[in-house]
Amino acid sequence: MLIMEAQKYVWEGAIPLQIHLHESEVTTFPPPPPALILAPRIGYLPLLIALIKPYFSSALPPGVDTLWFDYKGLPLKWYTPTGVLFDLLCAEPERPWNLTVHFRGYPANILIPCEGEDAVKWSFINSLKEAAYIINGNCKNIMNMSQSDQVELWRSVMNGNVEAYQRVSFKLKLGTVEDEYSVKPQQGTCETDMTGQVKTGRIPIRLYVCSVSEDFDDLEDVPKIDSWDKISFINRPVEIHKEEGKYFSLHDAIKALLPELFSEKTLIESPNNIPLEDARESKAEEVVNVCNDVAEIKLVRIQGIEPKLEIPFSWVVNNLMNPDYFLHISLYVKVTTLNTT
Amino acid sequence: MATESASSARKVVVHFRATGGAPILKQAKFKISGTDKFAKVIDFLCRHLGRETLFVYVNSAFSPNPDELVIDLYNINVELNFGFDGKLVVNYACSMAWG
Repeated sequence: MLIMEAQKYVWEGAIPLQIHLHESEVTTFPPPPPALILAPRIGYLPLLIALIKPYFSSALPPGVDTLWFDYKGLPLKWYTPTGVLFDLLCAEPERPWNLTVHFRGYPANILIPCEGEDAVKWSFINSLKEAAYIINGNCKNIMNMSQSDQVELWRSVMNGNVEAYQRVSFKLKLGTVEDEYSVKPQQGTCETDMTGQVKTGRIPIRLYVCSVSEDFDDLEDVPKIDSWDKISFINRPVEIHKEEGKYFSLHDAIKALLPELFSEKTLIESPNNIPLEDARESKAEEVVNVCNDVAEIKLVRIQGIEPKLEIPFSWVVNNLMNPDYFLHISLYVKVTTLNTT
Repeated sequence: MATESASSARKVVVHFRATGGAPILKQAKFKISGTDKFAKVIDFLCRHLGRETLFVYVNSAFSPNPDELVIDLYNINVELNFGFDGKLVVNYACSMAWG
């Protein structure tokens, strides 16, 4: 079975965390030093408890543990993959990423309860079911999974074992899109089954949009996200539309996901419109500026990289999706306020 | 938020269905704004049924995460021609249903 190189990189991706115990929970002097932990991108924060707990257990006040994390005061959603949280909340990547861990005082008004690994597994399987629903119109393949396959699939995600993951996920028949742009392996080495598995073409996406009103040139100047209300969560499938002689790019996909911001209409009505022939020859970023007068894409980040907008979307999907079959995209847009009534 | 528009501000009719012996609501259909998150649907059910936790599913299939917009969930079904009668079917159970 073919394992694409980019996918391997995604699975090996990790974020160095420097985890501090919240001062309200420190009962020892001196306070415990921060814990340095490498967190897998495709993993989830609560799964780190076995690594983190030993650092802080002797400093904790008496009580029952309910683990949660915050970044600069913002409680982190435990069901979002760690890599996605980092891409979204650290426009300028911070390494190590300084997080605060709490074992008490769960912010139930902001986060849904998390009862350990079982809750994370349940959330992962549900995300997978949702993806299957989008791709096939039902979740039968996930529901009918044998218990041992389900366990193996979950273990593969926990342990970052892409080979084991592929063995089980192959049976789910969720092959997404044909990728005609990847360099195919030499004939005879390994046969890809991608070509035989063309589906509805609906691709499960979780898009996280941060709208900023101030322009910025330096990532350090991106306004800090201090509330989840500042993020729009968009869960809309994308269909790859192929036109004669053209391919469907990441830029096309983002436009399709956010018709409110990037509509064809604004292209025609835009007073600053320059002829398309000129735009095609200019750089992608400038094309974006031309295509609309409502929003400007400032930053797209998927699995820690900032892909060019012209990249074929099928490549992005096949190589950068998460194990839950969703492609998670973090997007910063600069929005010009319009008087829409 | 910037991504809201007239199309997503529309109302969606949510049709609640009890599963696996969960108490039945007197009124099963409610209108909710498409821009509301699924968290609001879960909250609403928990309050009406006086329970701290519930398992809540869409179309007897999957349990969305709380950040998902009601309109996005509705639209997944519209495109599949399931929710064509203009409703989003939400099932709820006191214990885990459908895995």
